[in-house]
Amino acid sequence: MTQYGYIGKIARINLTDKTVGVVNTFDYVPKYIGGRAVANRIFYDEVAPGVGAFDPENKMIYMTGPTTGTGIPTGGRSVFCSIAANNYPEQYAWSGIGGWIGAELKFAGWDGLIIEGKAAEPTYVFIEDDDIQFLSAAPLWGKFVHAAQAALREAHGDDVISCVIGPAGENLMRNASLTTSNDNVAAKAGFGAVFGAKNLKAFAVRGTGTVVPADIEKLFYLRKHMGTPYMRPSPVVHEDEHGMDGNRIPVEGGWDRGQVACSHGCNQHCCRLMINIPSAFSEKETVNQVEKCVGIFAYGFQEDCSWSPIMTWETEQNAILPCKMLSDEPPPIDGTDPYIDKLFEHVPGDITNYWKPDFHKGSVMMHLCNEYGIDKWDVIVWYMTWIASCKAEGLLDDLGFDMEPDAENEAFVRYFLDMITYRKGRLGKIFGEGMARATRTLGQEKYAKTIYQGRYSQVVPGLKLDIPVSLESAWGMSYHWAGRGYEATINRPGWLAIALELMTVTRDNQTVAHFHDTYDHLLAIGDDPCHSEVLIDSVIMNENKGEMKDSVSTCEWQSPDLLWTSMEAEMYTAATGIEMTEADINDAAERSKLLMRAITMRNFGRDRDMEVNAVFPTLQYPDPRGETVTWEDWNDFVDLYYRKRGWDIATGWPTRETWERYGLADIADDMASIGKLPA
Amino acid sequence: MSKPGRHIVQYPKEFSLCAGCTSCEIVCSLLHDGVVGHGYNRIFLKRSEPDMMHTIYACLHCEDHPCYEKCPKKGAAMLLDENGIVSINEDECIGCGLCVRACSFEPPRINMVKSKDKAKRKAKKCDLCRTRPEGPACIEWCPVRCIGMSDEPLPVTAENAAETAGIPANERADDLAYGKA
Repeated sequence: MTQYGYIGKIARINLTDKTVGVVNTFDYVPKYIGGRAVANRIFYDEVAPGVGAFDPENKMIYMTGPTTGTGIPTGGRSVFCSIAANNYPEQYAWSGIGGWIGAELKFAGWDGLIIEGKAAEPTYVFIEDDDIQFLSAAPLWGKFVHAAQAALREAHGDDVISCVIGPAGENLMRNASLTTSNDNVAAKAGFGAVFGAKNLKAFAVRGTGTVVPADIEKLFYLRKHMGTPYMRPSPVVHEDEHGMDGNRIPVEGGWDRGQVACSHGCNQHCCRLMINIPSAFSEKETVNQVEKCVGIFAYGFQEDCSWSPIMTWETEQNAILPCKMLSDEPPPIDGTDPYIDKLFEHVPGDITNYWKPDFHKGSVMMHLCNEYGIDKWDVIVWYMTWIASCKAEGLLDDLGFDMEPDAENEAFVRYFLDMITYRKGRLGKIFGEGMARATRTLGQEKYAKTIYQGRYSQVVPGLKLDIPVSLESAWGMSYHWAGRGYEATINRPGWLAIALELMTVTRDNQTVAHFHDTYDHLLAIGDDPCHSEVLIDSVIMNENKGEMKDSVSTCEWQSPDLLWTSMEAEMYTAATGIEMTEADINDAAERSKLLMRAITMRNFGRDRDMEVNAVFPTLQYPDPRGETVTWEDWNDFVDLYYRKRGWDIATGWPTRETWERYGLADIADDMASIGKLPA
Repeated sequence: MSKPGRHIVQYPKEFSLCAGCTSCEIVCSLLHDGVVGHGYNRIFLKRSEPDMMHTIYACLHCEDHPCYEKCPKKGAAMLLDENGIVSINEDECIGCGLCVRACSFEPPRINMVKSKDKAKRKAKKCDLCRTRPEGPACIEWCPVRCIGMSDEPLPVTAENAAETAGIPANERADDLAYGKA
């Protein structure tokens, strides 16, 4: 019988004893869809409390979705799940990735990998269909990301697809990323360091098998309609300038821009390919590299990202998917929209004064992150803003840097990234732990909470806005569309929703749950968002869509499509042939969310006090309008959310009824046995 | 070297940059075989990393068709039509691979299903979707129009290209997104 969508087996790869086992995917699906939802269940079943990110008992679970490799757009994305190195405190998290690696793994006959144990020596895993080998990574250890990828192609052929760590991962630098083709990375959770702790440099795959979608006619419908592909040429264009808003500068000689897809089978091309730009390692050579949303700020960050309501709140007439924004191809504006003036209002970002635009320095910073295998996000948004802020406030004089700390000096950027990658000296050891831990080692009062005096609103011209030198939000992450810090310029209902999304997870949730809703709902929310059931429904919708994205799988830049709410269910059914309604897949997303809740409760002590207190203090710095949220309003907002989720208001723990409603009675029993089932 | 006939070409990046999405390979194997996998596509995206300047290869439909000449079952497993297009009759193909080795170009433009089961080893070769009224599916479904036919003029503008393919640039906005479908 033909197996549609899924392959049917997951490889259990034990690095300690170099064994491979086979797990039946259908032990988990369709109940847990695929991707992150399956990983959540496996992790819950197999990893006990007390395990740390770098322990051999920690498992790195890599999962594809049922759409991966089918040709359904965005299905090429896949996800890693494990205890993260970069969270504070360490907790289970996830990190998505594009490229061709997910499809290749399915061609090799596997829906996913459960990587356990720790190799005795530097190792990489080579997967060629059913043949899985543990090979010495001695020749690869120490190599930069692209050199390691090239070495694997040299060893196994040009058609092998790999996922590697760079020196940062080898040295357990907590911001270390995993990199696959097209500079696609799983970066947010520091999983490169988890690979490093397992002595795992890479896995490489070649597959000769097939993936079979159930409904090819529907698949072609999805290819034509998901994200409304323009189906028109996408030429390389010469740009004379670089940057956005107040960071835009002319570039001497210009630069060339192309647009590429991030993953196998996508019908969009939202990744910006910067062609022949300066290399970090040679004045004579140039490199091509991908810039996504945050990369543009490596080049200049004297002004924060601007915002328009259309980026968050949409109407039937005007709805712009993020992939169209990133490829600089927004659809024509529909002038019949009654809200058109509000939707396209330009809301300028804060003046931040972190660093002046510098094309060469920005290119070098990006290239170094790519080759060392470091999360660009934290380098740009956190490390370097911290350097700039602390320098302005005179906090760095006593720290003992070997050269004058200066985020505007390319030489310092090189020195700093080299230091944290290789954890050189006392400061390399401190900053290699990531900013959340580094500021705690140095002293939070001075090195995190000192107010940076350089932030000014442009929404209320002249208004000076407090912001700490360390842009920490919650769980060891930095601010992201949060009303303050990086990408601060969203309206109050938006940043409240995003803060609530952040509260119940373990990492920056904005890579799968950028908040979107309709403009009608914004009007219904009114001026009291903390008491709005409409906003709570919206938060839950966005969260559930986030669970679906990493499970079906699909993509943050094409989902949610607010005008096509059954899209993910249709994708699932087209891939697998298993009927899945919009309500069904929403239930599956709720189930995945509950599994995450179970893991954080049982393994990491999550309760209401822990998460409310993690997020609330970060909201006490003003947004661009000078607004914050009160303790009372924030807690009312949380109450509304817990009620709607079916979680106990006092503890934040789901009730038995809630566990059972989604087929998780066994977890309700587990929670009862550890005293975490509300009365 | 064989003289190419009418075939699929990749346009220069100044006209359209291959996005590396592999849609051409996927669409090809789905329409012909109902599966996605490296052994089944008749068009090839040669990935280039890390510069991401990918190259697309397909059969050049040589006028002297050496693949056909080498086929031990030519006329049965490999067919030659009145337009000089060589196609494969998989019911007769024995998967010997001689056609692949006979290809004049490197890399060879004929694919081969790899299987432990010899009966499943079949050659896969571009036939320009000769029985498909719309023409080659890879061209129709390339999201960035970076491939076309060698004997057709390069579309001049983005709008022109979309019209040529008969696909309105923003179809969904009209027929689906707002409930009019």
